[in-house]
Amino acid sequence: MSSRRAQITPAARSFTATAARAALVALAATGAPAAAAGAGGAGADAATVDFNRDVRPLLTDRCLKCHGGVKQESGLSLLYRHTATAPAASKRAAIVPGKPGESELIRRVTAADPDDRMPPKGNPLPAGQVETLRRWIAAGAPYDEHWAYRKPRDRPLPEAKDPRHAPWPRNGMDRFVLQRLEEKGLSPSPEADPCMLARRVSLDLTGLPPSLEDVEAFAAAPTEEAYERLVDRLLASPHYGERWARLWLDLARYADTQGYEKDNQRTIWRFRDWVVQAFNQDMPFDRLTLEQLAGDLLPEPTLEQRIATAFHRNTMTNTEGGTDDEEFRVAAVVDRVNTTWQVWMGTSFGCVQCHSHPYDPFRHEEYYRFFAFFNQTEDNDQPGEEPVVSSPTPEQGALAGRLKAQIAGLQAKLDASTPELEEAQAAWEASMQGATEWRVLKPSSAASSGGATLKVLDDGSVLASGERPANDAYTVAGPLELARVAAIRLEALPDPSLPKGGAGRADDGNFVLSRVAAALLPGGGRSVPPGDAPSVPPGGARSVTLAGAAADHSQDGFPAAHAIAGPDPKKNGWAVAPRQAEPHRAVFAAAEPVEAGAGPSLRVVLEHLYERPGFTLGRFRISFTSDPLALERFLAPEAVLAALKKAPDGRTAEEKTLLAKHHRSIAPALKPARDELARLEAELKAIPIPTTPVFRELPAEKRRQTRVFIRGSFLAKGDAVEQGVPRSMHPFPEGAPRDRFGVARWLTSPENPLTARVLANRLWEQLFGAGIVETSEDFGTQGAAPSHPELLDWLAVRLMDRHRWSLKSFLKEVAMSATYRQTSAATPARLEADPQNRLLGRGPRFRLEAEMVRDQALATSGLLSRKLFGPSVMPPQPDGVWQVVYSGDQWTTSAGEDKHRRGLYTFWRRTSPYPSMITFDATSREACTLRRMRTNTPLQALVTLNDPVYVEAAQALARRIVSEASPPTPEALAARGLRLALLRPPRPGEVERLAALYRGTLEDYKMDPDGARSMATDPLGPAPEGADLAELAAWTVVSNVLLNLDEYLSRG
Amino acid sequence: MSWDLDRAREITRRHFFGQASVGVGALALATLLEREARAGAAGTQGAAARGPHFAPRAKSVIYMHMAGSPPQQELFDYKPALIKFNDQPCPEQYLKGERFAFIKGTPKLLGTPYKFEPRGQCGTLISELLPNLSRCADDIALVRSMHTDFFNHAPAQLFLYTGTSRFGNPSMGSWITYGLGSDNENLPGFVVLVSYGKTPDGGKSLWGSGFLPSIYQGVQCRTQGEPVLYVQDPKGMSRPLRRRTLDALADLNRLHHERTLDPETVTRIGQYEMAFRMQIAVPEAMDISKEPKHVLEAYGAQPGATSFANNCLLARRLVEQGVRCVQLFDWGWDAHGTSPGDDIVHQLPKKCKETDQAMAALIADLKARGLLDETLIVWSGEFGRTPMNERRNDSKYLGRDHHPHCFSVWLAGGGVKGGITYGETDELGYFVARDPVHVHDLQATILNLLGMDHNRLTFKYLGLDQRLTGVTRPVRVVREILA
Repeated sequence: MSSRRAQITPAARSFTATAARAALVALAATGAPAAAAGAGGAGADAATVDFNRDVRPLLTDRCLKCHGGVKQESGLSLLYRHTATAPAASKRAAIVPGKPGESELIRRVTAADPDDRMPPKGNPLPAGQVETLRRWIAAGAPYDEHWAYRKPRDRPLPEAKDPRHAPWPRNGMDRFVLQRLEEKGLSPSPEADPCMLARRVSLDLTGLPPSLEDVEAFAAAPTEEAYERLVDRLLASPHYGERWARLWLDLARYADTQGYEKDNQRTIWRFRDWVVQAFNQDMPFDRLTLEQLAGDLLPEPTLEQRIATAFHRNTMTNTEGGTDDEEFRVAAVVDRVNTTWQVWMGTSFGCVQCHSHPYDPFRHEEYYRFFAFFNQTEDNDQPGEEPVVSSPTPEQGALAGRLKAQIAGLQAKLDASTPELEEAQAAWEASMQGATEWRVLKPSSAASSGGATLKVLDDGSVLASGERPANDAYTVAGPLELARVAAIRLEALPDPSLPKGGAGRADDGNFVLSRVAAALLPGGGRSVPPGDAPSVPPGGARSVTLAGAAADHSQDGFPAAHAIAGPDPKKNGWAVAPRQAEPHRAVFAAAEPVEAGAGPSLRVVLEHLYERPGFTLGRFRISFTSDPLALERFLAPEAVLAALKKAPDGRTAEEKTLLAKHHRSIAPALKPARDELARLEAELKAIPIPTTPVFRELPAEKRRQTRVFIRGSFLAKGDAVEQGVPRSMHPFPEGAPRDRFGVARWLTSPENPLTARVLANRLWEQLFGAGIVETSEDFGTQGAAPSHPELLDWLAVRLMDRHRWSLKSFLKEVAMSATYRQTSAATPARLEADPQNRLLGRGPRFRLEAEMVRDQALATSGLLSRKLFGPSVMPPQPDGVWQVVYSGDQWTTSAGEDKHRRGLYTFWRRTSPYPSMITFDATSREACTLRRMRTNTPLQALVTLNDPVYVEAAQALARRIVSEASPPTPEALAARGLRLALLRPPRPGEVERLAALYRGTLEDYKMDPDGARSMATDPLGPAPEGADLAELAAWTVVSNVLLNLDEYLSRG
Repeated sequence: MSWDLDRAREITRRHFFGQASVGVGALALATLLEREARAGAAGTQGAAARGPHFAPRAKSVIYMHMAGSPPQQELFDYKPALIKFNDQPCPEQYLKGERFAFIKGTPKLLGTPYKFEPRGQCGTLISELLPNLSRCADDIALVRSMHTDFFNHAPAQLFLYTGTSRFGNPSMGSWITYGLGSDNENLPGFVVLVSYGKTPDGGKSLWGSGFLPSIYQGVQCRTQGEPVLYVQDPKGMSRPLRRRTLDALADLNRLHHERTLDPETVTRIGQYEMAFRMQIAVPEAMDISKEPKHVLEAYGAQPGATSFANNCLLARRLVEQGVRCVQLFDWGWDAHGTSPGDDIVHQLPKKCKETDQAMAALIADLKARGLLDETLIVWSGEFGRTPMNERRNDSKYLGRDHHPHCFSVWLAGGGVKGGITYGETDELGYFVARDPVHVHDLQATILNLLGMDHNRLTFKYLGLDQRLTGVTRPVRVVREILA
């Protein structure tokens, strides 16, 4: 590696060129004498060249595009010292350290001939820049690492220069902020008033506004202790985790669908809840890292630790036909690698996938060395997201435990014998002697209502062919050769002429029998030509009420009983998948045996009404019997029937047990217990236990070999590589396993120059609206320089050493700082001196993020549900937003309090995210979102003015205003409304303006009762009894204004 | 005080719908300006130059996308050899190393059942399925040598509209409005219209703004329900009352602004005014009921329908009013041949009938209004279809599988040379034989027609100068089709 830093005159270091420039700017801007005293001006330190400050930006801007990591024109890369000093294609070295005169670089940038001069485009380098390069090379051309790749170091706290500022700092970070302000000749702003501060810190830490009562209590006695108590209370609130989970879920690209074309639903909300919990429990960030990246690799991981690994299962899954699973598995791994680098290290690693990094020190093959860590998990783009874990919530776990205990108790009761039962069993055994005699119905007619051709075969079975209507009803009749009928039997018979050789006509050989009905027809068994339905004399048919059903096999969810009493014949019935290829029997027993009379015929109607077309029977045979125990015998297992045939004392012990057991399963006396057991089992089964896709490492024998993908194509494989981290970074922790576990350790190692800085900056960004490094997504050489480099270092070191990666502890320190507590009200002078507030000379003011805009409106109006956790919800959304080509998924508005949950819980469909949220700059979460834009558009105005969600909030707020204020003058009510929304006392002019709006509006609504009703009640619902609708409507309009105030939508 | 308000007004003026619109508020705006200034000072060629880079040939663009991808063999790329060798196995050398979405084994060649004839003065060969468009042959430049890198719908659509198959990048319309702004203060600069409201495979990312500020994202206007979400006042609120509420809102915001001096507040006041105007302008622009009967008939449009024909007429109304980009998505072109619902004998003629008249009417209408010269029209799918019959599960219906190696697009209007055919495929129409045009080339050509250099229309993100056409392959403007 190169030497670290150019020799710099020590005396000059205290006053850098930056400071000099700053002083000059301040001078020019204010017309006041430069406050940061210092002599000499910019030229004074011209002799010192700092690579990072002076040379790197120059190379990056003018040289590296062609002589960098991607393009190396003429065999030259200026990215590293060893390549810049090596001979290029011309055999000359661009840089000869110590000898500017011999360096090709200097010759070319100063060449008079435009064809020879570098850079070829744009203006030649100004003389000052050439001089910088010359001095740098003369000093040995030291390459220095980019600041962000050097470990942050603890920085001494600067002292205030101006004694008037000395009392201002409350903690260390204030001293750094003050230093920069003083350099510019600026002062900090006064502390915000308690109302502003309480609202600010509450929104920042929990994403929700404080209650008016809390604000008023704090404002009444805004002591240091009271503020600290407020901060502590907010950090302890369960809503703290929800607010910070929002940030993390953007990074985790969390969504409730799989993405890509089909964008099917994905169940992964337990991961969302894990994040909320982890933040609420203040899991240290190094632990948070470890559990999410490698929870499955911990010794005996808990369910929660496995759920944590869903972080990287939020990648998209492609289930479109014909896609190559390997292609999209690789795409997911690539996403994991890129996301890991972006989230933890603020580094865009993605471009290294195809080629070496154009500007930063990462080589092409190093991408795949890191890729290899993540290339060993089982998942591979399966529609079912395997591997998944069953993830009961704690409540579900407790409920399941209770049910299982009850079930065990009942089961014990059912297993026990009593004298009464034994007696009943003996009687039952006696009744069961003998066997059912089935007679095959010989159809004299068989007709299809849908136009299928039904043919009666020699064995009495009926075979369908020809047309295959969507639905069909078969009517089959034939002579009943018995005096009475007690049960009928339907055999579904596979036939080679049918699809897949099954008994049904559906493409998979299945059928769904929706309804079966039987009737007796009088009339001497007269023969009817096949194909014609028998004509029935009016009143002549007697239906046979079928009351019991059973089959030797039923498809899951399609029992035979559904063919006599299914809830919905379009959805229910008897079906036999996946065993279509075998013959099956179903027996339907009459409620009471029906006496036949003389020479009747039996008519059976088989209806197929299933919602999917063509699920009709293909071949079947009907039999009948007069045995009233036919169903019972049919239900009894073969072994039971065999045992029954033996004399009681000839039975083995096993057979005796078997019979007793079987009897108890049908004994009428035990029916209540059996029903209760079935109910409990159904309840247990019905617990909607979610699953979660997780990481699972491949077993040793199945591990994948990782190869470099040439130009990023997964089909063009290059050399094999082993797991590793880039050489330019700190080494892998000694002794750490070379897997994801080790990666997590490497990321949060104190040697890692980026992780703590990136995290500190990200948290700072949330509280101040912009990071110290404004490009929080990019800490590389192309990112923005930090506004307060020493502060960032100090914060990063403190986050690791003092706070031990505790986010709550870190956030508390920031919230307690004087910097954070400044008022956001600006003065013209302050605004002019620092329009963007990069120096933090006033409190941050910015628009709330999408979720907070929603949550705040619900909170102010009193509609907000504070329920935590659970499946994602669907609050009202306009019709027609969710129309997706390949999916029948419907947006079904949630009921009850789920309509009013925090934005965090809103169902997130990647191809069609919740529209009002997107309008406020939330993203589709298809990929990791590192920083949300903050825009200000008319579409946002339309949302908060007109979206029924916000209209409803205005209606609810109006009712709050009317119900809570006394005396009920328009002025008192308007003041109340202002307090509820803005959480501060009204200021001059505000109440009057709102009261005036109210009075004018009230006049309108008095003359327009219908309009008043709509405005006051649609969609919230009927007004309280006795309410004046015109007044309520007018207050709704006022509330609509309150909920749209700039102050309300911002946090100041 | 005055300084601040002037500055804030300046920002407001440059907002959302305005010229050279940047509207992320003062902070981000300043950042952008600073970035530009920094890049400009250093003289790099990567700086995002806003406004056209050179004289534009077209002011606006209407892009008609046939999601699913129509078979070029039935419409624009006549292949007698396919007819001759119909039902013969596809030669092995074509199939080596090929991957298909659905085709398995050795597929058989499929000749088109439709007739082609030379059309117009130019004699461009167009299928009998498009009789109306055929009459516009002299206005269109047909490109038969398109090719793409992807053969699944979503990635291929993303590639076409965002330049990569991955999610998260800005769409072409966003790039264009970022580059050029809009000419109408009351309408969004980038409007999306979707036939029958069915979102295409690639989802809303196809008109998303990716890493560009979200003001550049396409606004989906709907022909049923509210034309733009939440554009209607709540029930019971009259227009005069809405006006009065906004006056009260602005007064209170101004009071607050006196304390904070935050330019964003002034911007927000302006945005609420813009929203108020949009509430009138958008429903008006989207209401075709007052169009004369002969115009409705020419397009085959019916007020209240959500058809492609309606959307073509709306596209004309929108560009007429200065909307920069209008993106139409139609649906149902994925002609696999698994059933009569997606084959080339039943479904394809139906889709052609649904769209042919309206496309031709749009060209004629724009021409009659003198707008065709400044409006670029593009028609395409996301990829091509195979020269072979797909025959999935031995289907008896004729259809073709996805095919990235060649497909046809046509362009017309602003700056496009009419009556020409560019590029050729090989005898079987399997690969491009001459003058290939990659998706990135098409994007560069569209930008060029609008006066922008694809290399200079960039945005700094993740430390890199991002651009629509990517950096991985050389990209060229297809100058041969420019007028």
